[in-house]
Amino acid sequence: MPAPATAYERVVYKNPSEYHYMKVCLEFQEHGVGLNAAQFKQLLVSALKDLFGEVGAALPVDVLTYEEKTLSAILRVSSSGLVKLWSSLTLLGSYKNKKCAFRVIQVSPFLLALSGNSRELELN
Amino acid sequence: MSTLRTLRETPRHLLVCEKSNFSHDKSRHRHLVETHYHNYRVSFLIPECGLLSKELKGLVMEIGPYYSVKHLPLHELITHEFINTFVKKGSCCALTYNTSIDEDNTVALLPNVVSIDLMDLSLHPDSKKSERISWSFKEKKPLKFDFLLAWHHTGAEESTMMSYFSKYQIQEHQPKVTLNTVRELQCPVLQSSELKGEPEEACSALELFDWLGAVFCNADLNNESNDFISTYCCPQPSTVVAKACLCTITGLILPEKIYVLLEQLCHYFDEPKLAPWITLSVQGFADSPVSWRENEHGFRRGGEHLYNFVIFNNQDYWLQMAVGANDNCPP
Repeated sequence: MPAPATAYERVVYKNPSEYHYMKVCLEFQEHGVGLNAAQFKQLLVSALKDLFGEVGAALPVDVLTYEEKTLSAILRVSSSGLVKLWSSLTLLGSYKNKKCAFRVIQVSPFLLALSGNSRELELN
Repeated sequence: MSTLRTLRETPRHLLVCEKSNFSHDKSRHRHLVETHYHNYRVSFLIPECGLLSKELKGLVMEIGPYYSVKHLPLHELITHEFINTFVKKGSCCALTYNTSIDEDNTVALLPNVVSIDLMDLSLHPDSKKSERISWSFKEKKPLKFDFLLAWHHTGAEESTMMSYFSKYQIQEHQPKVTLNTVRELQCPVLQSSELKGEPEEACSALELFDWLGAVFCNADLNNESNDFISTYCCPQPSTVVAKACLCTITGLILPEKIYVLLEQLCHYFDEPKLAPWITLSVQGFADSPVSWRENEHGFRRGGEHLYNFVIFNNQDYWLQMAVGANDNCPP
């Protein structure tokens, strides 16, 4: 038997998300460079370490999704660590002596917002 | 110290969570759907479902079309002919295409325009106001943009958009539809009366909203807390459903069509179903200048403005509305 109808309630949360999410893509100057998910994660850790030292490297970052073919990923980081992570990615210039750069495609405190990107709408 | 504090700050965001029932007289669900104009992505999730019903599939496939026009002079949107053909006979939405609201000029046409009231112009075509607006768009600053357009017509006649804008390279587009079935999906347990959840009994609206993002981004929900790559896992308590149907539609999607889809999803529970709830989420265009009605929308870091319904089997619903830094609180 379905439950009786619920009463109206409204709650407004300001800054409820303890995490921020980033959709990123790693681009190399030369073709053919591949990384698996673990290597990609290690690259993030070393980028944080280069800029912020051991304490920075300990910032928890989750690679929620990773696509090896396009070297793109969705990352999760605590909201208080977003600026550290973003600046580390910005300043990363190479991997195993190969020039590369991170492109930050989308950032949001809402993971659902990263499931679509209206700026990528293509018309046939 | 203040520099260190700044490093840890992020722009503010807001999430409004409401609960109500579709049968309540004062329920605002229709108003909130129909006043969110520029919708880019509509998704729904139905647990314990492998195949969409014929009615749902039909609705999804007919949710379009929308149109694109190139180099359209802005004054064309305030002519009497345009107003009489489209604005008065339904509701028309338009948004400049490939303009970033944080960098470029952006134009949007809303069904109930406030800044330049097209209905007012049509009633007083020879007024000074009407002439000045027309002059400023034509002579002073002949702005031209590529536009996306959609029109919900209330009459019986066929859409005349294609012939009306034929000299502006108008093209008709069908929204892109993807349908997936996901197996062995971990879903949060919810109680419709408990928006904030209940420890050990039910997850909160916040947790559900986050989980839904993980599902539609195809994130792995089964990690352990000591995994190297990701520690994300489904909020608890949860159950595993054998299969779930996910559908995503992208394009310029009219709010009236979204409302029809919402109504059809409410009817999903007319017959007994295994699923305790289903979801419908809608994401706005990041570069729309408005979120709901004429509330200004901006792009700070993400340009997000989105909402999500959780429809329960007793017609209770949760509604989450999310906006970023440069937006007012959703209505």
